[in-house]
This record gives sequence, C-alpha cells and structure tokens, in this order.
Amino acid sequence: MRKRLIARAPALLVLAYLATPAAAQQDNEALKKDLTAVIALQGQPCGEVVSATVLKQNDYAATCKDGNKYHVYENDKGRVVVDKQK
Amino acid sequence: MGRYSAVIMLTVLSTGCMHETKPQTQPPPVAATPETAKAPQTAKATPATTTKPPASTSKAKPAPATTAKTAPPSATKAQPATPQKQVASAAPPKQVTAPAPPKQAATAPTLDLDGLEARLKQTKAIGLMTKLSLRNKVDDLLAQFRQHHAGKPMPTVAELRRSYDLLMMKVLSLLQDHDQQLASDIVSSRERIWGLLADPKSFAALQAE
Repeated sequence: MRKRLIARAPALLVLAYLATPAAAQQDNEALKKDLTAVIALQGQPCGEVVSATVLKQNDYAATCKDGNKYHVYENDKGRVVVDKQK
Repeated sequence: MGRYSAVIMLTVLSTGCMHETKPQTQPPPVAATPETAKAPQTAKATPATTTKPPASTSKAKPAPATTAKTAPPSATKAQPATPQKQVASAAPPKQVTAPAPPKQAATAPTLDLDGLEARLKQTKAIGLMTKLSLRNKVDDLLAQFRQHHAGKPMPTVAELRRSYDLLMMKVLSLLQDHDQQLASDIVSSRERIWGLLADPKSFAALQAE
C-alpha cells in the first residue's frame, strides 16, 4: 500500500502542478467572456476580448480582437464604466 | 406457467369487464372514481409547475363528457337504479371541484420576482461585471418608468417597451446558453413583469417594497 502511494506520488505532484494553471486559465477565460459581455452591453465595438488584466478589484484592462482597448471598471457610484483607451 | 395463467386471467377479466360496461350503466361509477382519484392528484400537483395541472384538466374534461353521456340513459333508466343516480348526483359537485384545479393552475405560475432576482444573482452564466452592468441598466429603466408614471411626457410607453424588450433580449442572450431554465422562466414571466412595470399602481407597490 505504502509502496503504491510512493510510486504514485510523482504523478500526483505533476497533476497538482498542472491543475493550478488550468484553474487560473479557466478564470481568465471567464473574465474575458465577462468583459466581452460588458463591453457589448455598453454598445462598444470589440468582437471578443483576447486579453484581460486585473488592475484592481472590479477594475480591468481589456484588449479586443479588433485591436480596441478598454478600461472597464466600477465607479464609486456602483456603475460599470467602459472607457475606450487610445 | 404463471405468466400464461396471468394472461388468461387478464383476458377473461377484461372481456368480462367489457361485457359489463355495455349493457349496464357502469360509466357513472367509473367517472366518479377517477374524479375522486384525481382530486388528491391535483391537490398534490399545485406546488408543482404548470405541466401537471393541464394534464389533470385534460383528464377532467373527459370526465364530464362521460357523465354527460351517461346522464341521459341514467335519467331514462334512472328510476329503478336509485343508487347509481346518487352516484351520478354526487358527480356534479365533484365537477364543481374539478374546475378548481385550472384556477389553481392559473395562479400557480405567479410571478416570483424575488426568486428570479435571487436566481439571476446566483447564476454562473453571467459574470460579475456583466451582472453589475445589467443592474445599472435595470436601474436606468426603472428611473425611466418612474419619470413616465410621474407624468413626464418624454419616455412614452412605446419607448419604454422598446427599452424593456432590449434589456430582456440582452439578459436572455447572456443566459440562454448556460442557464436555459432561468432563461425560459424569464421568458414565461416577461409579459407579467411588463404588466407590473406599466401599471402605475403595481409599479408604486414595487417601488415601496
């Protein structure tokens, strides 16, 4: 039993190592979709967000497939603002 | 062997039953027994969704038909068979109770705004920022309705309806792929929500809550 565990330990370690970035990647994909929806809801041209960076809580920088860049954040009044960056 | 004997018994019983129904007026008790059996079913069905009550109503419709068909023969032959008449006369009050489930079915899909709101908050089909953005849009629309009900001419009913439909389309487009149940529930209550918003009294009541 113990030998089996020892034998499987490297595989488990590799799985744990791989699982963490995968979860982060999923989160990033979800964030991209979220920002894509927000930008579309504000009626701004984007197509699809291809990269997103977290600046603060509820504050993001998004780059769209068409090359547009946006600053998406929640202001102090609780409103979501989409500012087009040049 | 057991199966054969069961099949034979069933065929004998079924043929016997068929013979009995034709000459005698057994439909009234038959009609009465399903109704009594249906009554608890509909009572149980009320907490469920609308799928069950229509089934009960579809079952309930044939019941009056059978009683209506059997009533004239029983009226003609009724004098000798008094107990059957009593059963037949007992059926009409049950017919009165039978239409009750459709009323319950009509009230069953009542609008649960709090429930829908909670489900919208909990759904994972929409991201956090999108939810915040949608909430802004809902607040904007409610402000427009407030202006309209305050007597201001600017947002007309047609404009409000357009904005409402647009917002609904946005919500549904976000939900339809990942939370179809919530999307369909919103679609089904769409007109009732509009009714609440468009009516000044119900809107004022909503705002007071």
